[in-house]
Amino acid sequence: MNSTFEVVIYIFLFFGLFFEIFLLLTFFEPEAKQRRMKKPNKHFPTVAAIVPCYNEEETIAKTVESLVALEYPQDKLTIVLVDDGSTDRTGRIIDSYGSFPHIKIIHKENGGKHTALNAGIRATETEFVAILDADSFVSRDALKEIMAHFDHERVGAVIAAFSIWNPRSLLEKLQQTEYLLAIAFRHVLSAVNGLSVTPGPLSIFRRQVFEELGTFVPAHDSEDMEMALRMQKAKWHIANAPHARVYTKAPESIAKLIRQRTRWMTGYMRNGFDYREMYGNPHYGALGMLVLPFSTFAILGTIVIFTLTVAQTGKWLWNFFQNALVVPLSFTFHVPSFNFDWFFLPLNTMILLGILAIGILCIRLCAGALLSNTKPSVGMGVVWYLPFYGIVAPIWTIRALRDVVFGIRRSWR
Amino acid sequence: MKPYFRNILLAFIIATLLFGTGFWLSNQINDLRLAELRNIQDRIGTDILSLETQFDLLESLSCQNIRENSVLSSELNTLASRLAYTENALGSQNEEVKALKRQYSLLEIKDYLLMQKVSGKCGLKPVFVLYFYSNEGDCNKCETAGHVLTYLRETYPQLRVYSFDYHLDIGALKTLITVNKIEPRLPAFVINGTVHYDLDDAESIEKILPLDKLATSSAPSIEKELL
Repeated sequence: MNSTFEVVIYIFLFFGLFFEIFLLLTFFEPEAKQRRMKKPNKHFPTVAAIVPCYNEEETIAKTVESLVALEYPQDKLTIVLVDDGSTDRTGRIIDSYGSFPHIKIIHKENGGKHTALNAGIRATETEFVAILDADSFVSRDALKEIMAHFDHERVGAVIAAFSIWNPRSLLEKLQQTEYLLAIAFRHVLSAVNGLSVTPGPLSIFRRQVFEELGTFVPAHDSEDMEMALRMQKAKWHIANAPHARVYTKAPESIAKLIRQRTRWMTGYMRNGFDYREMYGNPHYGALGMLVLPFSTFAILGTIVIFTLTVAQTGKWLWNFFQNALVVPLSFTFHVPSFNFDWFFLPLNTMILLGILAIGILCIRLCAGALLSNTKPSVGMGVVWYLPFYGIVAPIWTIRALRDVVFGIRRSWR
Repeated sequence: MKPYFRNILLAFIIATLLFGTGFWLSNQINDLRLAELRNIQDRIGTDILSLETQFDLLESLSCQNIRENSVLSSELNTLASRLAYTENALGSQNEEVKALKRQYSLLEIKDYLLMQKVSGKCGLKPVFVLYFYSNEGDCNKCETAGHVLTYLRETYPQLRVYSFDYHLDIGALKTLITVNKIEPRLPAFVINGTVHYDLDDAESIEKILPLDKLATSSAPSIEKELL
């Protein structure tokens, strides 16, 4: 094997393993333990749940129903449905909830998600503001679970544990695997205040944050990341409620998944550039010293390893065809008889460490499922997770990098 | 010290230890592989020496006795595939690999000479192919040539193929190269005493091979021929 390829793989494998071990160690820290042991409290502050909608006729009703079913005193909860100039039946659907005393409906011209969120914030005066995407559904106890984590005056936002709504296809199960891994990841990072995003499927903010830092801005179509970085910069804490379950609709085709992730990735790159002074800056603790540099390192690793793998595969294919040309085709495609022989077992350092890294990843997956009490429903999604993301993640990463370098702006949908 | 900073340090130490353990384990496994290679080589060396001694002691050694030792060639093939795997894993510049390759080449030469004697005594007409290659980047077609020989070996089990690294530093190999007047134009083939340089596919080698003497893999193997 090409030695450059091996060295590069070893470097990324080492730091990948290092990061996974860091997560595992932090998982057992008292701070993380205390967070996952937290019980809902009896005090119910006022909350406004804002749902920005743009052409969400397929899911908005279910989203609203899930909010209405929340186990939270009705006089303390206001649901704000903001129609951001939808051109489908979304407006009519949300109007049908007009009779609910605690539901406010706003219709406005299309201006982008951040304008819809800000309209909702302005229309309410509650102590806390919840942001919920119109394709996500909350579990009945999610709000109670989340509110228990505002246990310190500098906790400015709390995010929930997200998983895929009713994963049935292989693609949905693959994303479910990814989301379960992310549950444990976010839980651990919150213990060191290392969260860099307040995701749309459900994040709750202290109103004081908006009063102090301002409301949402366009932020390269990633207002959730920009707000998190703005908060971290101002020394607000972002916590995670691992037992607060929220289900979100997954993109149902690979093309849609790539489109969604390209948007997330360009948002990360552009916002990361805007907040570049936080990278490697000890003033921002684990976020500045570890999380942000590692996210960039992971992006770099994805691109480098993918490029080298493509080059190696190309070389292998070239040799394969060269060899196929010099012998009869029947020999090229004959299946050799298999006799087990330990001598030929591919037990080298890379494989051994790779197995170890996958083992730790499996622990993280189980931890995610247990923490959020989510039925894994991943099936073959676990088996195909690494091969699938190993191929498609570089596609959206490279695509995003190209968009950032050449200033390409893509529409949301 | 902040918990996250302590965990960063701990994680770094653990990752380094795990990496070290991974390399150590991998080395242990490679040592086991090398030990097995040495073991096979010793066994083949002893078998060849035993056969040669019998030859020298008893001029009347029967072809039946030789048949019992004909398992040697398959042992050499087993050794070849293991050596190739190890060379690929450890690299062609690894000193252990080089030493094993030198011994392997000597065994091949001894087997080649012995089989020539056996052929003369038992009136056999086996087909010998000496194949010279290089791993030093001066032979573009060597990988393809190796693939062709794998095909030929599997198709014609009676074919006796001996592969030699042209640049290996052993006196016996240098002599073999000199005796056969092989130029450093690789890959080079010596088929029944004649040197060929521009053979780069199975078809052109098959044209040179005396196919009438070679049965394909579905036919009885050399053991039968030697009877």
